Amino acid sequence: MRLEKCWFCSSTVYPGHGIQYVRNDAKIFRFCRSKCHKNFKMKRNPRKVKWTKAYRRLHGKDMTQDSTFEFERKRNRPERYDRNLTEDTLKAIKKIDKVRVDREARHHSKRMKPKKAQLQREAARELEQSISMVKAPGALQRDPSLTLPIKVKVSKPETVENRMEE
Amino acid sequence: MAASNSSKLFRVGRSILGSLSNNALGTSRSSSQFADMDFLSQQTRTFIQMRTNLKVVDNSGAKRVMCIQALKGKKGARLGDVIVASVKEAHVGGKVKKGDVHYAVVVRAAMPRGRCDGSEVKFDDNAVVLINKQGEPIGTRVFGPVPHELRKKKHLKILSLAEQIA
Repeated sequence: MRLEKCWFCSSTVYPGHGIQYVRNDAKIFRFCRSKCHKNFKMKRNPRKVKWTKAYRRLHGKDMTQDSTFEFERKRNRPERYDRNLTEDTLKAIKKIDKVRVDREARHHSKRMKPKKAQLQREAARELEQSISMVKAPGALQRDPSLTLPIKVKVSKPETVENRMEE
Repeated sequence: MAASNSSKLFRVGRSILGSLSNNALGTSRSSSQFADMDFLSQQTRTFIQMRTNLKVVDNSGAKRVMCIQALKGKKGARLGDVIVASVKEAHVGGKVKKGDVHYAVVVRAAMPRGRCDGSEVKFDDNAVVLINKQGEPIGTRVFGPVPHELRKKKHLKILSLAEQIA
């Protein structure tokens, strides 16, 4: 039993799923589901189809190089069955998966980081500019709590003087 | 041949149409167009039955062969089945002449065949290898990929001659 990769979307094809198309030049195309198969028949290039792994890797949306990928490489030599080895491999698979998922999450957050600051700035600008859409300018003057708190530098010595006068 | 040509035309036409529609019209229109084209271009591949033209992929001398009878199977022959075929086109000076009637085994079929692990295989064209009554191939070479299914049907000689087993 072997878990293959779908030619179009690069997801795993589990046994019992998918269609295998053998071209006359003996190249085998495996598809995980009919969606990928139909896209293939339409002659779409997976590198241009947004939801495939090929596109995501090409455009830097997903990690391309990582040491965790080395573990998943295809090996053609069958291993002699050894119970301990199998146990260790199963445990290692779980751990490697966890590490890979964490690294991918980190890659994603790194990619999304500058977005947060930009969103904040945009929101502040929008509030400043279009608050008049929501509240009338007269109301703003009467009730200053509706505007953004403008940071005013209060100089300490003045207040001290005022208190002294009172 | 005609069928594959028409399907190719459909595919090409569809891709051109698809690109045109994507550029010019909105997505809703293009999706409905795709639905229509989908129905037209989705070829339901069927069995190999009487009058089916098949390609010969060994060096027995025949080039094209027409199925006369599909032994086994009420609806027709599938991948790995034996048929009786009449030679329609042959190379000059081959072992087989035009008009001969031979047994042949289907080594490539465009109709998807279910594998025992649940997946499906399909090839690009319909191809046969001529055999004699005992099941031994008449030619000495086989071209192109052949499926695993031949092993179960006991056509081991063909498997050993094949350049690639799909």
